[in-house]
Amino acid sequence: MRILVIEDEKKVASFIKKGLEEEHYAVDTAYDGETGLYMSDVNEYDLIVLDLMIPKIDGLEVLKRIRGNKNNVPILILTAKDTVEDIVKGLDSGCDDYLTKPFNFTVFLARIRALLRREKIEKEPFLKIADLTLSPVTHKVTRKGKEVELTSKEYALLEYFMRNPDRVLTRTLISEHVWDYHFDSLTNVIDVYVNYLRKKIDKDFEPKLIHTIRGVGYILSAHRP
Amino acid sequence: MVRGGQVMKRGSMHLRSLRFKLTLWYVLILGILLISFSSFLYFTLSKSLYRGVDNKLRSLAELIASESASPLSKFGFGNIDQALETSMGLKPIGKFIQVLDESGQIGRKSDNLKNIQLPISLSALKSASQGLITFETNRSLENPPLRIVTFPVLENNHITKIVQVASSLEDVEDALHTLLLILIIAVPLALLVASLGGQFLAHKALKPVDHITQTARMITSKNLNQRIEPLKVRDEISRLIETFNEMISRLDRSFCQVRQFSTDASHELKTPLTILKGEVEVALRKERGPHEYEQILKSNLEEVNRMSQIVEDLLLLSKADSGEILLNREDMNLTEVLNEVVAQVNVLAKSKNLRIETANHHEEMNIFADPLRIRELFLNLIENGIKYTEEGGSIHILLTKDTWPQDGNLSSQPQGEKADLVKIVVSDTGIGIAKEDQERIFDRFFRVDKARSRDQGGSGLGLSICKWIVQAHQGEIKVESELGKGSSFIVKLPIHPS
Repeated sequence: MRILVIEDEKKVASFIKKGLEEEHYAVDTAYDGETGLYMSDVNEYDLIVLDLMIPKIDGLEVLKRIRGNKNNVPILILTAKDTVEDIVKGLDSGCDDYLTKPFNFTVFLARIRALLRREKIEKEPFLKIADLTLSPVTHKVTRKGKEVELTSKEYALLEYFMRNPDRVLTRTLISEHVWDYHFDSLTNVIDVYVNYLRKKIDKDFEPKLIHTIRGVGYILSAHRP
Repeated sequence: MVRGGQVMKRGSMHLRSLRFKLTLWYVLILGILLISFSSFLYFTLSKSLYRGVDNKLRSLAELIASESASPLSKFGFGNIDQALETSMGLKPIGKFIQVLDESGQIGRKSDNLKNIQLPISLSALKSASQGLITFETNRSLENPPLRIVTFPVLENNHITKIVQVASSLEDVEDALHTLLLILIIAVPLALLVASLGGQFLAHKALKPVDHITQTARMITSKNLNQRIEPLKVRDEISRLIETFNEMISRLDRSFCQVRQFSTDASHELKTPLTILKGEVEVALRKERGPHEYEQILKSNLEEVNRMSQIVEDLLLLSKADSGEILLNREDMNLTEVLNEVVAQVNVLAKSKNLRIETANHHEEMNIFADPLRIRELFLNLIENGIKYTEEGGSIHILLTKDTWPQDGNLSSQPQGEKADLVKIVVSDTGIGIAKEDQERIFDRFFRVDKARSRDQGGSGLGLSICKWIVQAHQGEIKVESELGKGSSFIVKLPIHPS
């Protein structure tokens, strides 16, 4: 899951990025509204964390322009503005959640999970395909009830697969949602990680879940031969 | 709601009572005028009517007296009426005449008296005997009031006859009575109409006041953007409305300032708090190496220092506002303090590859001021210059002596003395300040570029403190700046403050 953090206060952006990366999210940061808007335009994010008082283009304006572009990415406003009018204005301008600074990081993470869940109309707190389960809260992955140990990147990759089951995912899509923008998508890193993942969740189990679509990418499905 | 209603009711009661008072005064004054006028009218009219009767009686009496005194008189015998008619061609209507001889016996009398005789009082008789004319009013219950003149006829200083002529006062009194009746009915009626009219006028005049009261009452700190609707005509009320609106505007401005200040202050404090809380919470989510902990603690310390700086500066300013801080003025050497400060900030300047140049045209630069505050002033201004100047730039500090402009607001300084102030100019070759921001840079927490200034550190209160220090020393501070070229802060301090 790839998240964009638009926040002008560098230290705030930095600890958010660090905390989110430790939760296996890919994180990009933008320090002003203009850059943030540009990045949200050229990249596909699963969620945007947006500060309101940011230079160049004001946060509310960024929000309106993102929505104006018919982009329905979940947006969480994170700001020091805590009056009722500010919150109502923010929510009415099209954000999905509003958190005031200073905030509790655990709550922040839980809200992000809730927003990502809402996006896929999932009400259950864990993802499930056949006998494979993944809990975004505890990061625990099981296959046939047996716990599977994954590295951070493997976990992020699997979460992305499981949030988009039965859908062909190209290497570009995977790189956009699992890696941040420093990633060079021309390398075969994705194939390497998909193979690692296969070894851990598919090798000793039936049916196989990850399938290669030659020349296109991969698909996670329980209904393919 | 009930309270509000009561207040409203009380308000209109007050208004009604003012209306009532105005009407009362109006009616009172009008009443006094009408009553005085009516009394004057009544009394002068009655006097002139009575005098008219008296004059007629007297002239008739004189006529009769002179006729009866003449030797050819036909008054001796027979009917007076006939005699009068034949001698003078007139028949006195409504006049009663009787003629008495010197002993008081009735001689002749007019027909209309029939068998009645006119009463004659003792005092009238007595006056007549002395040759004096007497007017009397005789009132009795059964007859209408009579006005009687008793007129002695003198012949060689000897009373020969007494002529009495009387006239009924019925007509006069009837007329006066009618007048009185009219006045008694008309005056209260006029007052009643006037009071209604007065109430209407007072109501009309006070209606805008009522309107002002209601609008003013509805305005609270929450809706200070409301104004009282101005009237089309320009009068006292419209000036009152204008005054009210100006007052509300001033209130609005100061409320806005206070609100802006508390928003800014809370934001300034929330940012370091967010960083502290977030960094610590993220750090505690898992075990980390000693180097990482050290990094986090260092960053935390930075934020704690920033917060204490903000709190300290805020405290200083709030104490300054309430006048709690007193200056410890002494004779101090300005050049010395400046050199100390420059030495202190040189490290900072060198790290950005900036040059600091000082110019001093006078050896002696002593002023009577608080050295601690002046030091703070220099430090804030020079640090500010360093913060907003790109690498390789320079800071110029110029100290000169000057005099206050004679027409300036501080021209109360002695005129004969030359050089009564020091001028300190701190110029940088930095990014400059836009025209529209120049007057606001001394405002608390005002930042031209929020992100940039936080990166540079500082509380956002430095220039506010500078302004306070300068003003506490009865000086002036201003800024001249051009975007991209640099800024100059010009401070003027009196050498011998009053």
